[in-house]
Amino acid sequence: MTPAADIPLKQPAISAAAGEAEQYERALIDASTRVPVLMFYASAMVWLLIGTLLAGFVSFKLHSPDWLSNVDFLTWGRLRPVHMNIMVYGWASMAGMGTAIWLMARLCRTTLRHPLLLVTGAWFWNIGIAIGVTAILMGYSTGYQWLEFPPYAALILLLAYALIMSWAVLMFRFRRGEQIYITQWYLLGAFLWFPWLYAAAQAMLFVVPVQGVMQAAVGWWYANNLMFLWLGAIGLGTAYYMIPKVIGRPVYSYHLATIGFWTYALFSSWTGMQRLVDGPFPAWMITASIAATILTMIPVATVGLNHHMTMQGYFPVMRYSPTLRFTVFGAMAYTVFSIVGLLISLRSTARYFHFTEASVAYTHLGLYAFFTMIMFGSMYYIVPRLVGREWRYATLIKLHFWASAYGIGLMSVMLFVGGLTQGASQNDPSLPFIESVQSALPYLRGRTLAALLLTASHFIFAYHFGLMLFGLGRTSTVPTFLNPVEAEGSEGHL
Amino acid sequence: MKGLFPLFIGLFGTFTFSWIGLTVVPNLQIGALSPQADEEGTDIYPMPQSGMVDRGRRVYVANGCVYCHSQQVRPDYDSADIDRKWGQRRSAPRDYVFDRPVQLGKERMGPDLSNIGKRGSAEEEKSPAPGGSPAASPAQSATANANASPPSSAPQQAAASPTQTAAAAASPSPAASATPNPSGEPAMYSEAWHHKHLYAPRSMGPDTEDSNMPAYQFLYEKRRTSGEASADALHLTGADAPPAGWEIVPTYDAKCLVAYLMSRDQSHGLKEVKGAAAPAGSPAASPAAGGAAAVSPPAAQPPKK
Repeated sequence: MTPAADIPLKQPAISAAAGEAEQYERALIDASTRVPVLMFYASAMVWLLIGTLLAGFVSFKLHSPDWLSNVDFLTWGRLRPVHMNIMVYGWASMAGMGTAIWLMARLCRTTLRHPLLLVTGAWFWNIGIAIGVTAILMGYSTGYQWLEFPPYAALILLLAYALIMSWAVLMFRFRRGEQIYITQWYLLGAFLWFPWLYAAAQAMLFVVPVQGVMQAAVGWWYANNLMFLWLGAIGLGTAYYMIPKVIGRPVYSYHLATIGFWTYALFSSWTGMQRLVDGPFPAWMITASIAATILTMIPVATVGLNHHMTMQGYFPVMRYSPTLRFTVFGAMAYTVFSIVGLLISLRSTARYFHFTEASVAYTHLGLYAFFTMIMFGSMYYIVPRLVGREWRYATLIKLHFWASAYGIGLMSVMLFVGGLTQGASQNDPSLPFIESVQSALPYLRGRTLAALLLTASHFIFAYHFGLMLFGLGRTSTVPTFLNPVEAEGSEGHL
Repeated sequence: MKGLFPLFIGLFGTFTFSWIGLTVVPNLQIGALSPQADEEGTDIYPMPQSGMVDRGRRVYVANGCVYCHSQQVRPDYDSADIDRKWGQRRSAPRDYVFDRPVQLGKERMGPDLSNIGKRGSAEEEKSPAPGGSPAASPAQSATANANASPPSSAPQQAAASPTQTAAAAASPSPAASATPNPSGEPAMYSEAWHHKHLYAPRSMGPDTEDSNMPAYQFLYEKRRTSGEASADALHLTGADAPPAGWEIVPTYDAKCLVAYLMSRDQSHGLKEVKGAAAPAGSPAASPAAGGAAAVSPPAAQPPKK
């Protein structure tokens, strides 16, 4: 590992010229974000572990329904929304906020002011989730998917969010330099879209409730936009930072990025209703969302092309850099996620996927293969800069990556194929309905296997993260590479 | 991109565009529907629902039934929902005006429940209760009502609670009630059937053996019988049966949940939906067609008032 110092995996080439002042400034900025970002990451890790265990229960109970079914708060229909909410609001949102705050401080080239207020906000966010989860377990779910938390828990989340993100947005006021980077568009978008989205959905469902099926429309509009405008925007913004940063090369095309961003904001926000295809709604609503889903192929293509061209010739770096490996996996999964989304949306194909496990596969592709993998990547990059230590074991990172990659791959394939067989049986009225359930059961057992892999991966990562948190990382100036860097073979393209 | 202001306007604009387009405009179109009525102002559909049904909806929501059961029937040109007899026509926004929270669902690990209450009475029409004595069948007319059976006359068999008003299990003949009938399975989708199904989902015959529905035994109470068994005790057999001297009775929540299930009924015609159950002119919807029961079961459902 000796020649590693020559290889600018960690610091891009430009920083060498930037001099010591810039290094010092960066250290100051990182120091100001240390406590809040670690707080967000640590909370996210705890929720991730709880959510993962719940995922295992939920997956297992789906094919072994009598297991632990005699207690009301352990019934499948309560554990499932608890798992989902913990993953979305506990893990994904908190990890996303941690990464986003750090990136924002770096890109605005300003220190984070009032970090302790952010820590307070993070505590309130945790409390809000805990209250919401308890309420669901006690049977007080609102009954709207992705919005199961009762309004009082949602209010705590909104207040916590105000406490957190007002400071992140305020960093813009103190930013240095006129240029707003690509990542910052996405992050600012996410910061502003989430509270608008959450408040609008809460208002339309609980404050001035809409009638009948409009509740479902608002619910799907919210759920889809939460995926795209909140988590997706953070995920893409992070990828736009990490990929160029790690390989030390600017983003391929600024214009492509502009097109990608605005088409993303415009089209993906109109999706959602396609999940109610043939439901009790005016047909134009569903058609509009299907059209929007088709149009989201534009941002998918531009963002994918941009990332690909940036990476061109640098793909071998994925052999060494954990951040890059996770991030590129996530960026590629974004394309897969969108194509699967298109497939289950078109009217001609939706009839085979509607009301089946394929929609669960789609959700997991988005939340896990795309978003979570990018978050893992960003944590591998950011945490060493916060604790001043390097990741201790390359083996653990490799295990984490492969268990996650195979886990989510297996899970998506199982649920997608299982959904297809389930849908085919559902569409054949000569078969009794139970056939469709039976045909999916083997795939559901396969999904439990995938859940075991993901559980292993998350506990490995949590252990590694814990070591870092308690200062047990490696003391070194060289980042942890996945594989020893061979001086000659790799230098050619770096 | 230079400057924060254009960026902000763009972010706000795209969000507002989608908000107005997908929630505000549709809300103007379908967000203030009234129940429909005929010319005389009678035959109102849908009707607001009773307290038990409303509480039953809370139980349905609390236990996450929606994650496996949808409540929407798709049109026949695009799905097998109607062929599966989950409804006679597609669902329409007006069917849900009193549903809050609305439980359309997004997955079908179990069958659609839009018309589960209606299907109960349809199944009863179609076939005599298995194992029931021939004397019991006349009691299964469309007018049969759980209220008609006082508890004392149905000690072992009828699990229907006297407080529930929807059509329920057949009233047993005096001969049937005198001797406990070991094979007295409740009629499909009757209240007694739902209670037993909720308590032991895999005990309802060969079709349910592979069901992956969890049991909801926490909604039922196991208690000692004092003398005669309660009228609403579940008629359980085999491994699910309680030991002698004990009985399983539904809690109030379970009764509400079943009342909610029995209230799920979109069989009433809607002006805006063309289909088998057109409100007027269609023989299928008129009570006179009741005689066609044996020929075409879906058309045999008399309108429920």
